[in-house]
Amino acid sequence: MSARAPREVLDARVRVLAPGSATAGLSAFLDASRAQRNEPFADGRCRIVGSLSARFLKDPWLRRDPASVAVGYWMRPAAVSLLRAAFERRQAADPSVVRVPVGRVFHVAPSNVDTLFVYSWVLAYLCGNANLVRVSQNPTEAVQAMLRVIGAAAEEHPELAASNRFVTYEHDDEVTAALSDWCTHRIIWGGNETVAAIRPLPLNPHASERVFGSKFSYAVVAQDRYLAVKEEERKRLASAFFNDLFWFDQMACSSPHIVFWVGPEPGWPEAVAEFETRLQEEVERRRYQPSASNSVHRLVHAFGVAADGDVRVGLQHPGFIGIRVPDARTLDKRICGGGLIRHARIDDLAELERFVSDGDQTVTHFGFDRDALTRLAARIGAGGADRIVPIGEALSFQVVWDGFDLIDDLTRRVTVQVARPERADG
Amino acid sequence: MKSPAQDLLGTPPYGLAQPDKDARLSRALGALTRHHYGSCPTYRDIVDRVFGGLEDLAPDAPLEDVPFLPVSLFKTHVLKSVPDAEIIKVLTSSGTAGQSVSRVYLDAETAGIQSAVLVKIVQHFLGKERLPMVILDHEGVVRDRKSHSARGAGILGMAQFGRRPFYALREDMSLDERGLRDYLAAAGGGRILLFGFTYMVWSCFVQALEQSGAPLDLSGAVLVHTGGWKKLQDLAVGPEDFRKRLEALTGIRSVINFYGMAEQVGGVYFENDLHYLHAPIYSDVLIRDPVTLAPVPDGEPGLIQVLSSLPVSYPGHSILTEDLGVIRGCDSPRLAMKGRYFEMLGRVPESELRGCSDTFQLVRAATG
Repeated sequence: MSARAPREVLDARVRVLAPGSATAGLSAFLDASRAQRNEPFADGRCRIVGSLSARFLKDPWLRRDPASVAVGYWMRPAAVSLLRAAFERRQAADPSVVRVPVGRVFHVAPSNVDTLFVYSWVLAYLCGNANLVRVSQNPTEAVQAMLRVIGAAAEEHPELAASNRFVTYEHDDEVTAALSDWCTHRIIWGGNETVAAIRPLPLNPHASERVFGSKFSYAVVAQDRYLAVKEEERKRLASAFFNDLFWFDQMACSSPHIVFWVGPEPGWPEAVAEFETRLQEEVERRRYQPSASNSVHRLVHAFGVAADGDVRVGLQHPGFIGIRVPDARTLDKRICGGGLIRHARIDDLAELERFVSDGDQTVTHFGFDRDALTRLAARIGAGGADRIVPIGEALSFQVVWDGFDLIDDLTRRVTVQVARPERADG
Repeated sequence: MKSPAQDLLGTPPYGLAQPDKDARLSRALGALTRHHYGSCPTYRDIVDRVFGGLEDLAPDAPLEDVPFLPVSLFKTHVLKSVPDAEIIKVLTSSGTAGQSVSRVYLDAETAGIQSAVLVKIVQHFLGKERLPMVILDHEGVVRDRKSHSARGAGILGMAQFGRRPFYALREDMSLDERGLRDYLAAAGGGRILLFGFTYMVWSCFVQALEQSGAPLDLSGAVLVHTGGWKKLQDLAVGPEDFRKRLEALTGIRSVINFYGMAEQVGGVYFENDLHYLHAPIYSDVLIRDPVTLAPVPDGEPGLIQVLSSLPVSYPGHSILTEDLGVIRGCDSPRLAMKGRYFEMLGRVPESELRGCSDTFQLVRAATG
């Protein structure tokens, strides 16, 4: 394996998916992008992202896909203005630091959370960078539609076309090494295996890197509070939990796999039964139909769980499989996906401290006050978990992800020190 | 435990009308369920934890109430209902490289009834006379006698119905055409039996003959074949094309497919005259909705559940497969064979659900 693929190899093996106008080979783009100079949150780029948002929300395919609508909404002009204002406040707070784009960003996007590449790319683009985004070789319909929209926008905005390439290629260390040599920041989404495959490949010595390994997420529900609230509230919660569970087939890093019920033994079976009944109602209301493949997959997983430990498997709800785990200490972190939930009961939130580990990410919650959640953050944060958000917000993308500020990652800080006045005067 | 199927050996394999068959199979499956519940701790745990135990299961409960295991569980868990000392053979499924394989534990009783039942079924189609037999595979597959792949077990299972078996493929899977012609000449043009796995019959026999261009006269032969259709579906070859091409090349008109699996050897499903897979009296199929798992009405597709009155050494009497099928009829006046028959529609596609770790799909070595 040579460290760098020759230009012909890159041009032949890498397929540019967008913009469509990119007729010259990829190597020409890599060369040209080295000379680009931009600043973070420039007016032109903010406007382009705003117009992309409108296009996403108007696109006949994307507007029917809730996860795609969420992307479009997340990058609407008002949201971009907030990001920009936050950036400017930070800039203003310390005049001795001037933030500049990190330069050229190589994004390796995951295929299980197909819309994630847009979040990663938009932030890097807003920060003023040139971008090369590698998406899955079998782009989903959502990815294809998004690339179509971005490609169409690039027709009208030559700047967008000049500074970005959305590509795909077969697993190929030579190509990945060449792109890693080009970039000044590499972002690897896509879990432990991808990180393990790509991280060893040499990176431009001046480049930084952010990797996102596989994560495990779960929910906590205050049992007494759940049983006490009005039926309307339990319906609303079911709808919120539905999104957390079924978007991306429960395979996103922040999709919950366990619901921890915090409360006493009496009341637990009723709470779980009520929760599952409401969730199944929501499944029916949304006419969600799991695929035969996913249903078989989770059924096999559930039987395996039943063979291995003392649990109760519920097959009565077609939308999902609920498994009750009587002893929370026996829980492991196996991931199934496709709608399989394990329920466990704990007496106190503090018991999560024993459960949390490095790979934990999002804890979604219902029924706890700020004090309880802040105490929880302090308790389990050091152990691994890094997001505590209400049920329904598991998949909302945040600029701080896995505990890292992506705006910090995507900009470089140039420090400026002026000569001290007395010496200048002298 | 004696296999409940022993009591059926005196009855013709397609000789029970469905109501009668249902009554007998319900009692047999009920007895097997209780036997395995008492003898296989993992099975008992699953029945307790998924199906809520056996207290509500009547001794003659309908077949759809019998607990089932997903077929994949035989790959991930050790499932046996007899002490290790009584196990005489372990069958493994034919997994492709890198995949885990099923392990099926047989004692003398189970191996014996599997063999006895298979004899009844095959003799129904071939008669009692042992025919000269051509095996469309190579001999290496059956060399290890202690542990058999499903492929080896299938060949050995069928080999008992032929005499002077001739393996028509070399170790490299090429067709020994000269050897085959010599064997056929020696057989003197009488009736012969051919056996092979569907994909190999196609790729190593049909296609090899098409390339060599020399016709072969097998007009007096009967071909029995089994194994999945998936690879042929990928080549857009359906069962009808398969039979037509074979007949055009060799004149063979009697081609019988059967459906079976390592997890339920014995009570296999041979094709009837309508080219549907027909359940013998020892076993049956139910079709379930893949999502709700509820039995679907006849004529609607779903997951195939196979029920067998045979196995006592492992809890494989009620298995939910990952194959899709549809019931095509039952006790049809158009057929001499009584009972239910179905069509196999292919396998449920493998789930896309993988961990976060799927940015680059691993390139798997092609396996054949």
